[in-house]
Amino acid sequence: MQRILSRENVIRWAPLLVLVGLIILFTAINPAFFSQRNFARIAIAAAPALMVAIGVTFIIVMGSIDLSMEGTVGLTAVLFCFAFLATGGTLAAGAWVAVPLILVLGAIIGLVNGLVHVKLRIPSFMASLAIGFVGTGAAVLITGGDIVKINDDTFRALLTWRIAGFPLMVYVVAVLALLAWFIQSHTILGRNFYAVGGGEELAHASGLNVRRVRILGFVLAGVFYAVAGILQVAKLGQAESVSGANFMFISITSVVVGGVALWGGIGGIWNTVVGVLIVNVINNGMVVIGLPDYLQDGMLGLLVIVAVVLSTDRRSVSFVK
Amino acid sequence: MSTFIKDFIERETISRRNFLFASAAGLTTAAMPGVFGGGMARAATDPALAWSFRDRASAYWNAIVSGGEAFTESLGKPKDAMTSLINEGSSEKSLSDIKAFLAKNNGACAIACDPNDSPNARPVAEAVQAAGGYVSTIWNKTDDAHPWDFGDNWVSHMSWSDEKPAENTARILFDAMGGKGGVVHLGGIAANNPAIERLNGLKNALKDYPEITLLDAQPADWDTTKAAELMASFLTKYGDQITGVHCANDNIAYGVMEALKAEGIEGMPIVAYDGNPEAVQMVMDGKLLATVFTNPHWGGGITLSLAYHAAIGAFKPSEEPKEHREFYGPTILITAADAAEFKAKYLDNVPTYDWTDFWGPSNGPIVYK
Repeated sequence: MQRILSRENVIRWAPLLVLVGLIILFTAINPAFFSQRNFARIAIAAAPALMVAIGVTFIIVMGSIDLSMEGTVGLTAVLFCFAFLATGGTLAAGAWVAVPLILVLGAIIGLVNGLVHVKLRIPSFMASLAIGFVGTGAAVLITGGDIVKINDDTFRALLTWRIAGFPLMVYVVAVLALLAWFIQSHTILGRNFYAVGGGEELAHASGLNVRRVRILGFVLAGVFYAVAGILQVAKLGQAESVSGANFMFISITSVVVGGVALWGGIGGIWNTVVGVLIVNVINNGMVVIGLPDYLQDGMLGLLVIVAVVLSTDRRSVSFVK
Repeated sequence: MSTFIKDFIERETISRRNFLFASAAGLTTAAMPGVFGGGMARAATDPALAWSFRDRASAYWNAIVSGGEAFTESLGKPKDAMTSLINEGSSEKSLSDIKAFLAKNNGACAIACDPNDSPNARPVAEAVQAAGGYVSTIWNKTDDAHPWDFGDNWVSHMSWSDEKPAENTARILFDAMGGKGGVVHLGGIAANNPAIERLNGLKNALKDYPEITLLDAQPADWDTTKAAELMASFLTKYGDQITGVHCANDNIAYGVMEALKAEGIEGMPIVAYDGNPEAVQMVMDGKLLATVFTNPHWGGGITLSLAYHAAIGAFKPSEEPKEHREFYGPTILITAADAAEFKAKYLDNVPTYDWTDFWGPSNGPIVYK
């Protein structure tokens, strides 16, 4: 019993306990919350956000930050629509080509992001924010402020085709989350992220090419942002220059709420998954229990602080900046 | 981008430039009254043209700009004879850009402008008056600031009243619901004036339909993604009680439709606002009951035209009645019956307007409550 309740164990499982606690709380106030249909709704809302959050998790584990997600998601979503329409407009007609194309584009944006950060020695905060602005600007330029729509029913099956009550996109996201976990835990690159985040100088002294690891981290994040862009189109059937709006707040909040430390080296994919679910459960639950809209933002802020307090091991750091 | 970070960076980068612009413009405008006698209106033969607006990222502002350009071309000038002053949502930038433009052209300017927020209208008008230029504004001004208090220099102000059109869309919605059931409203950013007016319109219509309940009204911030998520939460909370949806704009309606599509719900009565091309198509396809068009192309052209014609002395604003200085812009209700005709007339071919018919399509004087 003593061992189960050890500090490490409590902190490891705290985010999940917060999630369960929230579900119990919302269900107690409005039982309609606890239904398979509502969980499917939460899952749809969470799907693109989870891809963004997983992408940025790799960067945060390295102790850096990536703020390019809104621009990258907006630009990849818009270009995905254009590529999809240009290659036939339906999956059957060969428009599936747009998917690998956009994933490569996401990787390229991430590569540029990483190169600017590492080669020009600009802090990742500033470099990625700037690249994000460039992405949004490019999306505005390409669309001229207009909306691009995709009406292919086969592609939209990601949203409309349900297996066991959950749409296809939820399963796609689950598989990609497993893939991300595999990269994190079973590849050299994934371990190197932790090496860099846990102690960059030590990693460097041990012969690790830290700059290469950093650049690869941004490339990987870019690919996940591109997936989010595609899923955003699947979810809404359209893209515009602001398709990536709000992802910065949602993803970084989720990562931190899930227990990934912003100073690097602590936490991982499963923390992020739970974090994204916590934030989306809060967003959905506040409406379902009928909290007045003018209280919702304040309540979200409060719950985020509570979740972070419970789920991060703050005793291991001497100071927080 | 997160608006907070974006705004912050904008402020930081702009403040230095602002200072330079403002001091340059300040010197010029300070020197001006001495030379030209108290900023008295002077007729210019060829005033410089400018449109000051928010950004290029929305169909709405692009339509405004296209109207301004169409007017500029009607003068036999190239499109780029009209300068775009993009304020990106910053009132400070809006004002400093206008001051810089006035200084550059020595006050011989015809400017069309959305001052970005209400309190900014007065400093803009003061700057233009001090420099002896001419400005026509749209959307934002405080209730106590009036063009006629600024001589001829603040030529006109046009706004749009959304309450009545939103009430009309609500009536169409309620009739489609058979006069009974539950309705939810997904609104704009809660503090925005159009968001408040559009919700009020819905509430006005509700008084005549006692068997219809407003189940919930919450802000979706004009945003498609947020609207989809809010609608999903509404479905959990109210389920089958929802028999109609009133949306504050077209973007919100797109999100609502996708949330319903995900659930396999078809044929839900929905109304929207703005008259964007996609929404008009949806009205034609029967997916949307109604939307409202405010003709931004005409608004963009006529606002610049008013400033231009006052600047060249074609008419003297101070001799015009008050309803020619402050007036509502046109609103056109689009339903299934007239959507095809509307599309052919306004969207497929942009109509050629008579840019000297300043008040023909307008919608009466602005009324204060």
